[in-house]
Amino acid sequence: MAKAHQINPERARWLEVLGVSMPLCLSYLPIGVACGILLNAAGMNFVLTFLVSIMVFSGGAQFTLASLLVSNAPITSIFMTLFFLELRYALLGSSLSRYMRNESQKSILIFSASMNDENYAINYLKFVTDKNWTAKDALLVEYYSLASWATGNLLGGLIGSAVQIDLVIVDFALTALFIYMIVMQVRQRLTLLIGLLSAGLSIYFLTLVKSTLGIILATVLASFVGFLIENRVRRYAKDPDHTWILGKLFRPSSTRNTVEDRQHIKKQEAAQAKEQEGSETVDAKDNGE
Amino acid sequence: MAWINTFNLAEASALIPSHHNLTYHLIVIVISAIAAFVPRYFPMRFFTNRKIPEWFNEWMKYVPISLFTALVIKGIFISSDYGLVQDHVKLLGNIMIYGHAGQIVAAIFVAITAYFTRSMAASVLVGLVGVWLFGLFL
Repeated sequence: MAKAHQINPERARWLEVLGVSMPLCLSYLPIGVACGILLNAAGMNFVLTFLVSIMVFSGGAQFTLASLLVSNAPITSIFMTLFFLELRYALLGSSLSRYMRNESQKSILIFSASMNDENYAINYLKFVTDKNWTAKDALLVEYYSLASWATGNLLGGLIGSAVQIDLVIVDFALTALFIYMIVMQVRQRLTLLIGLLSAGLSIYFLTLVKSTLGIILATVLASFVGFLIENRVRRYAKDPDHTWILGKLFRPSSTRNTVEDRQHIKKQEAAQAKEQEGSETVDAKDNGE
Repeated sequence: MAWINTFNLAEASALIPSHHNLTYHLIVIVISAIAAFVPRYFPMRFFTNRKIPEWFNEWMKYVPISLFTALVIKGIFISSDYGLVQDHVKLLGNIMIYGHAGQIVAAIFVAITAYFTRSMAASVLVGLVGVWLFGLFL
């Protein structure tokens, strides 16, 4: 029973999930080291950098914290800056909540505490495309990424300023991760259009409000436009799934079907089989009489 | 995170104010942890706790794509002081473009890799090699 939900019962589940989170863990390690180095330069020893990485667990927030400490910002402004920086997680949490409905209060508390842009991205993708993905697996992804992040921070705190790291290159690992996520997300023309819209809006809002609040504004607005358009099309089109805007984009054959598609096909087949069965029994009855 | 380029480590350690001792750092850590925890936990708790209208779920469906593009755009085109990044392409006679030239080209390669391989590891690897390589000669 315990093994029933596994993708490949030959392999242990934790190994399977580790494989899924490995690319993230490997990119977190050097960024964590860089973050530890910066926090160390801002006056924290390696125990403290390790502690921050576990308690805050957010790249953006920790890098910002280092700069705030160096500029001797008051504690209230540290709190406000970080709070607005982290406000986008309100959106992430809300969008994952539909997959966490059956979880206990305690596990939601634990899950949300170590949620992050990157492990959210992995978990969201898995929840959408893999129907066997459970909240437990999602939590495991968070813990693996936390472990590599904390290790990086600890190492960075220990090394201090002895090593120079090219942050531009290291930081691009995360950008690449998000580009991968975008490519995986885009399955309809509408998703692509919303992505482009969000790109434009984010440039506009980021340069306008001069803070990461711009990301939140762009995300809320672009996603709402996506919802509005889909809603209109579904209401007024005769065959919404085959309209141009909701039509599927071409993908290489191996990536064309999502889990939902396959489920849909299976359901249709099952319905057909049932129909046939039904007609056969009717035939049998007819013959009997 | 791009502001780190201008972050001088040696200067930074010389600038640490005297009241930044262990207690102060511990307070800062707790404060930061609260700031990070509140936006993560309460909305999620709120929305897993009650019946969510379908339209909200439909809306949230478009959050990931919007958020990921916004994050990528911020990484490639927005500088640390929230202005547009300006870069000169040596290869094309030093013309000025917006955004980090090397990162833009690397991003295209990442997208192509992701599209055809569906592998996260391959995409990240191509991205790292690409940004290093194109950074050298663009």
